[in-house]
Amino acid sequence: MQINNIDGLILPNKKDEEFLKINFDSLFSYDFTKTETYEFDIVGLETINDKEKYESVLFDITRSLDNQQKLITINKNIAEPIFLIHKLKENETVYTNSLKIKIAKDIKATIVEVFVNSCTNSFYGVNRKIELEENASLEYVKIQDINASNSMIFTTAIEQQNSSNLEISNFEYGNGFVVNSFENIINAQNTNYELNALVKLFGDSTTSNLVKTIHNEKSSVSNINYKHSLKDSSKAVFKAKSIVNETALYSKAFQHCNTILLSDDATIIAQPHLEIYIDELEASHGTTTGTLNKEQLLYLQSRGISKNESYEMLLSAFENKIVDNIKDELIKEFIKNYKRDTYV
Amino acid sequence: MEKNTILKIENLHVNINDREILKGLNLEIKPGEIHALMGTNGAGKSTLVKTLSAHYDCIVTDGKITYKNKDLLELDVSQRANEGIFMSFQSPIEVAGVNNSYFLKTAMNAKRTYTGLPEIDAMEFLKLVKEETGKFNIDRKLLQRDLNDGFSGGEKKRNELIQLLMLQPDLIMLDEIDSGLDVDAIKTVANVINSMLDGKRSILMITHYDRLLELIKPDFVHILNDGKIVKTGDYSLALELDEKGYEAIGIKDANK
Repeated sequence: MQINNIDGLILPNKKDEEFLKINFDSLFSYDFTKTETYEFDIVGLETINDKEKYESVLFDITRSLDNQQKLITINKNIAEPIFLIHKLKENETVYTNSLKIKIAKDIKATIVEVFVNSCTNSFYGVNRKIELEENASLEYVKIQDINASNSMIFTTAIEQQNSSNLEISNFEYGNGFVVNSFENIINAQNTNYELNALVKLFGDSTTSNLVKTIHNEKSSVSNINYKHSLKDSSKAVFKAKSIVNETALYSKAFQHCNTILLSDDATIIAQPHLEIYIDELEASHGTTTGTLNKEQLLYLQSRGISKNESYEMLLSAFENKIVDNIKDELIKEFIKNYKRDTYV
Repeated sequence: MEKNTILKIENLHVNINDREILKGLNLEIKPGEIHALMGTNGAGKSTLVKTLSAHYDCIVTDGKITYKNKDLLELDVSQRANEGIFMSFQSPIEVAGVNNSYFLKTAMNAKRTYTGLPEIDAMEFLKLVKEETGKFNIDRKLLQRDLNDGFSGGEKKRNELIQLLMLQPDLIMLDEIDSGLDVDAIKTVANVINSMLDGKRSILMITHYDRLLELIKPDFVHILNDGKIVKTGDYSLALELDEKGYEAIGIKDANK
């Protein structure tokens, strides 16, 4: 089974600006032996047909294989976070998984998803739809730890009602081929949307993040904040587009992307992009690329800490800025103590 | 090298950015001695202490440095520190995101591991910090913050003193530790340094300020000019310098 051969599926065109610099060829032409829907180990989830219209064509890859979507509705406050652990085990398999997360009015929730694998040459297509009703709040944390020879396309579409709050923290640890897509068309007022990510790559891994945010209504905030630490010959692509339309007065739109290159062969392609049609707003975008600060390295070493350990301390300081954004202390500890070995 | 010499510098030539700063410097320090290094701006004082702590800016082009009977130039920055060399930075570097207490405990354990001692745990560390800082009334709250991050000039210098007390080095190099400090803070610096003098520990300090020399009496005062030590004397040389200035004692100030 090849993704290229799925009837009627329009695949991303590599000449398209959005997908430029991402090479899907080897994934789409790979001949997998089977297709499987990854089932959650939660019983009683409602199943619906996914008939949504999405901005990104990437949603259709998973949907073309299985258009059924599970639905989690959270309509009461839950003190403990909900953990969804995905463990892929079968080789040469196309897995799909689609989930709608709905948070009811005035409800607060925390969801953590972990994606790990112990297989080779498999692909995971994951679609997420996040819906927040008025004044709802969701802290959503994702760890992607899909390793070499495996691929994953993770797409998320967001719908926020007035005064809702969504904080996404995205940790990219795997060394496979990964593409994430986040789209949020803001058609409500006073919403807050934060997308923080740490992309920590090594080996030959490639991870791309495509972020599209459109402000159509007044007084909403979007804050996209990515940090990359890239070792070996890893490659990261970061493309963020935030559009603030004429109807979106007093919006705040921020995009920041900081990268530390830890090897001469590591690559970052970072394109923050703002498209603004009004004057009454606050907006900023920026990207920095560099190495660790050699004065700081020297200072730590001058007190007896080895070069390697000093290096790790500075790198953790850079990376922890994303972890520190997490509000839930339990989740913060979970991320700090996360070890792949626990799951595979 | 004589048995009771901790540091011996012979004919040291050092370049920074391809410009020769030290031009054949000789210096010998024995255990327990206090040496003060004075000189006009640009004479090479900071370059000397930076070279001794293996700063990446300093390229040794000629000469020899022997420390505790070892070729110092063969040791990297952290090895030198673990061998007991401590340089107090003129402007300590701010490291946001690295907790000061975690940093200091890591540094102490690096030295303990290097010298074959078991590592100390968090409880022992806190007890030691409390004991040492308590003696000199130094605010321990600095340890809860990130390393030098957002510290005032005085706080940065006090943090260097905490490190000094905890790491217990054998050769302490102070690069203008008194700059920007008020009289009381200078007294604290002097109290800490004097308390550490045990007849074995040696000090090499750079200062422009005779107040610090009054409080930490040097055994030797060296005047550095154009990359070499041109005059050596005892404490009275510092007093003479303070009274008459460099030109009166035959030192040409290259800045004029």
